[in-house]
Amino acid sequence: MQSIVQSLINGSMMGVIYALIALGLSIVFGVMNVVNFAHGDFVMLSMYSTFWVATFLGWDAVATPLITFFLLFGVGVLTYYVLIDRTLREVYVTQIAVTVGLQVLLRALAQVVWKAQPRALTQSVIQGNVQIGPYTILFSRLISAGVSIVAIMAVYLFLMKTWPGRAIRAASDDLDAASLVGVDYKRTYALTFGLGSALTAIAGGLLMSFQQVDPTMGVRFGLLSWCVLALAGMGSIPGLLVSGVIVGAAEGLAMSAWDPRARSLIVYLIFVLVLWLKPKGLFGRA
Amino acid sequence: MRTTFRLSTVLSLLAAVVAALIPLVLRGSSYNMVLVTTVLLYAVLATAWNIIGGMAGQLDLAAWAYLGLGAFTSGTLLLRWNVTPWVGMFVGGLVAMAFGFLVGFPLFGFGVKEVWYALSSSALVEVLRVVFLMWEDVGGPVERYLPFHAWSWYHLRFGSYVPYYYIMLALLGVALYANYRLRRTKLGYYLRALGENEDAAEVLGVNARACKMKALMLYAFLVGMAGAIYANLYGFIHPSFFSGVNSIEVAILGIVGGMGITYGPLVAAVILVSGREFLRSSLGGQLDALYLVLYAAVLIVMALFKPEGIATLLEEPYRRLRSYIGGGDKDVRSDVTSV
Repeated sequence: MQSIVQSLINGSMMGVIYALIALGLSIVFGVMNVVNFAHGDFVMLSMYSTFWVATFLGWDAVATPLITFFLLFGVGVLTYYVLIDRTLREVYVTQIAVTVGLQVLLRALAQVVWKAQPRALTQSVIQGNVQIGPYTILFSRLISAGVSIVAIMAVYLFLMKTWPGRAIRAASDDLDAASLVGVDYKRTYALTFGLGSALTAIAGGLLMSFQQVDPTMGVRFGLLSWCVLALAGMGSIPGLLVSGVIVGAAEGLAMSAWDPRARSLIVYLIFVLVLWLKPKGLFGRA
Repeated sequence: MRTTFRLSTVLSLLAAVVAALIPLVLRGSSYNMVLVTTVLLYAVLATAWNIIGGMAGQLDLAAWAYLGLGAFTSGTLLLRWNVTPWVGMFVGGLVAMAFGFLVGFPLFGFGVKEVWYALSSSALVEVLRVVFLMWEDVGGPVERYLPFHAWSWYHLRFGSYVPYYYIMLALLGVALYANYRLRRTKLGYYLRALGENEDAAEVLGVNARACKMKALMLYAFLVGMAGAIYANLYGFIHPSFFSGVNSIEVAILGIVGGMGITYGPLVAAVILVSGREFLRSSLGGQLDALYLVLYAAVLIVMALFKPEGIATLLEEPYRRLRSYIGGGDKDVRSDVTSV
């Protein structure tokens, strides 16, 4: 019983990071209706960027998003102008083919640059834990969850209160009407895609403070974030947070109570069940 | 057409003869034989994919799930009960087909489509990989080697790769013929209508669910059979057969070749898979995955700039050839893409 509760706690804190990753995907899918199969590989790229920045500058992993955020934003904007912009008017199959190609490309690039063996950073300065009754809460996980929640709130405020954010929301509601009142769709879309991939930089920095990275993890994070997104439904940021925690907790539970290898099994089970039974998600508006 | 021989038939026969002669040219060199058989394998998978993906427009990303099921069924039947892979092949195809039914029935029933179908099929591969990794009686983390035989038709084990090449070639013929025939049946027309516009097709009375189920099951059966041959070719079964990346590659070949064009995936597989293997052997020594970088870049460029498929590049030479021979009439374009 105790270990089950412990795994639920750990899983939930992990789930908040999943929500942050899924938020980037959700913005891109919701606003541009672009299906980005390479989103998980942006997470992988973020983790490697974190590894580089932390190694060369001697920073702590948690601080690296100060640099990698802008790096990944640049990667996202570049991806938009070079690839995504050309696919907007194509059928969805072409869109998926291009982002799937990007997924293969990023993974292969990572293999060339960083080789196949996993990379990890030395221990973060954030050490220790706090004991609540019989349960241990690691500071590194707690801070990761906290930073993720702050980042999610910041995105929410950005979308609600600033002009670029309003342009993004206007473009997602009605692109033609937004264009009429002077929203430049290309710049807005580039900003959206850049933001979507920049958010993975924060997640990547947090993840690297307690785990390692290898070139193949992109697929897992990609499907994970689609699962969180499907569970949440479109257009609800608090819903994403709840779904992320559900997925993370379920994953933690499966690993401790069943088999460590079963973690992806439970995620896909949730994913498929949601698609069958609740295709609009738990909190979807449309 | 009043002529007794259609040009397309002649060209198909010519291609079959050339394909049959390849092992003689390669003189049974093992490395090259594995390579050309791999090309054929991908051609079979992508051609089968064409039924569910190209015609019915369902972006299935689970090809190697069905392949793995076929491989494990046939391999386990041989290892446990000494059942010949000739039987195992069909049982494997049927198991894959049954699995396709189990998956498609709820998915299509609940109206899961487009990106969500693609993602859930992609998840399926990973689910099966984990299940077979955990299921120690059949799978497990260690390779299960099929018994070695120098030359046994019963066990489908040979000291040479040449027989597998011809078996795979025969299966490719079956897959191509299935595609070709399907295009001319009612189901084929329904599927293509669904691929064009699902809502419109349903309004006109096409039973989308039933049609997609049939397409999925046919595709799963063909891929399952290919899986049984694959297991014998490499001589073992392992959960890594359930490979998400390879499944995605099959779909990309189908898309890049030309959605719904019968020989499109074949052209794409021949050009791209052999190109990939060429890059791997010429660059492989220096940088492990550089060939994959180039390969992915080529795929992206093709998807962007030739979205209707590379097979359409063959239209113009075909038309020239046809008018040169003199049998050409006006509507050649529709003829070549409908072959």
